[in-house]
Amino acid sequence: MAGRLSSRRNLPYLLVLPSILGLLALIIYPIGFSLVNSFRQWNLQTSPVPLGFVGFLNYQMVFQTTPFLDSLRNTLILSVAGTFIEFWFGMGIALLLATQLKGTNAVRALLIMPTTIAPIVAGFLFRYMYYEKGGLLTWLLTQVGFPVPPQGLLGSSTTALASIALADIWQWTPFFAIVLYAGLLSIPEDIKEAAIVDGATGLRMFAWITLPSISRTAIIVVMIRFMQLFNMFDLVLVLTRGGPGTASRTLSYNLYQEGLVNYNIGVAAAMTWLIVIIVTILINVYARVAFRGWEW
Amino acid sequence: MRMPLHRKVLIYLAILLVLIFFLGPIYWFWALSLRSPTSAFASPPEFFFEPTLNAFIYTFVNPGVNRPQLVSSLIVASGATLLNLPFSVTAAYALSRFRMRAKQFLMMWYISLLMAPPIVFLIPYFILMSSLKLRGTYPSMIIIAQTITIPFSIWLLKSFFDEVPIDIEEAAQVDGASWHQALTRITLPLALPGIIVTSMFAFVFTWNNVIFPLVLSNQSTATLPVGTLNYFATTGATWNFIAATAVVTMLPPMIIFLVLGRYIVRGLTFGAVKG
Repeated sequence: MAGRLSSRRNLPYLLVLPSILGLLALIIYPIGFSLVNSFRQWNLQTSPVPLGFVGFLNYQMVFQTTPFLDSLRNTLILSVAGTFIEFWFGMGIALLLATQLKGTNAVRALLIMPTTIAPIVAGFLFRYMYYEKGGLLTWLLTQVGFPVPPQGLLGSSTTALASIALADIWQWTPFFAIVLYAGLLSIPEDIKEAAIVDGATGLRMFAWITLPSISRTAIIVVMIRFMQLFNMFDLVLVLTRGGPGTASRTLSYNLYQEGLVNYNIGVAAAMTWLIVIIVTILINVYARVAFRGWEW
Repeated sequence: MRMPLHRKVLIYLAILLVLIFFLGPIYWFWALSLRSPTSAFASPPEFFFEPTLNAFIYTFVNPGVNRPQLVSSLIVASGATLLNLPFSVTAAYALSRFRMRAKQFLMMWYISLLMAPPIVFLIPYFILMSSLKLRGTYPSMIIIAQTITIPFSIWLLKSFFDEVPIDIEEAAQVDGASWHQALTRITLPLALPGIIVTSMFAFVFTWNNVIFPLVLSNQSTATLPVGTLNYFATTGATWNFIAATAVVTMLPPMIIFLVLGRYIVRGLTFGAVKG
């Protein structure tokens, strides 16, 4: 019996073991590889194998030879502004849908379409619409008197990052709308009625009843979306390649450029570690807030 | 509560504007795939034009430049979905059914992998797969996709297992069934819809992924998004071809999401919001 019991106690761990081993096998190599090579000089264009150890030189190079801080700044602007705009735009749409007029279900099904398509395809859509001559958005903006820069919206350092953000806002606002709408529907009727009896209307109702009731859902989607924006790569690749200059370069794109375009494996490895540290801190802070009191 | 008519009209108007903003770009690109090259960049833009299927014929029928990429996309996305199931079903079942001291830690670990930037795994894999002579093969892409599909599926599947009442399983065990009989005969069939939903999401995520195949595929194993990107390297008016391949890339996820219906919220939030 004792043997049976102990085997039963180990059973859950035996069942999660394949996933843990599988994932560890997948991530230990990249992490170890990056750690070792972040201290070695290695450019694939000049040598197929790593050269000597160089101490912390690669970490220094990350800041001196790549626009790491510019990329970090762009990434933060994109993540904060993108999440903020998508959340409130999505909330507005969710409130419209929550009136439950006829046809809401069909609207909901159509509305999610931008979120279903590949981010890279969303990039194609917007690159076409941003085109300097004959691009739909460029044309529309010119019609309403917006000063479109002569190099085009993607070619000007003042509009490049915002143009990437717009494509992302287009793709992911429906995500917020649909999730927040589901949250709004789950608020119990009696809470709303009690608030109305107490005289709550409009903005007050929203701030005191609606928002607190869906705060848990809201925090989780904000966390997920913020991190996805923080890892932004696909739209940058197809829209601007980080340009002009470094105006729209994100952390992920900077790492791609250094490692897989310039083939500076040593510097890229050092950068990988810096990014892993930043992301680990962010995720830990977020997950602690989002899953506080969560029942596992 | 009855709503005054003018308010109803205003809300419908707002919803109409929202739909135009979010569906307009998709319509505009579908239209591009049916345009002639001269209509593609007409200035001002042409809202009415004579449609042609030439772009689809060139990309998928004759000579069908992008047809092999459609096959590659299907192989990689299906392969990644199938490979992930044995790992995620067992783990999600355990995390849902048993008390484990490490549960919270494990769930946090999975979700942090899910939210880490994929590019940090990619460069080492590029070197590893190159030295193993595996770069350009389907397995290299299917395996690295597991860094996303396994943690995602565990989270989503756990939320489905949580909803299968544990009483039924316990009753079966009281009747003398072993835990794996209870699992395979009772819990798995009841959780099957959840497993199918999870597989559909895993398929879409891998289908839509571009960063792994961008670096790990070669000419004969390139997936659709990578093949479409290649058009940007060639000069000349290829936007119609880009649009035709992009339309074909968009369709499977769109259809799958229409089928998924009420599970969309849950899937996109990794099971954390039930919806």
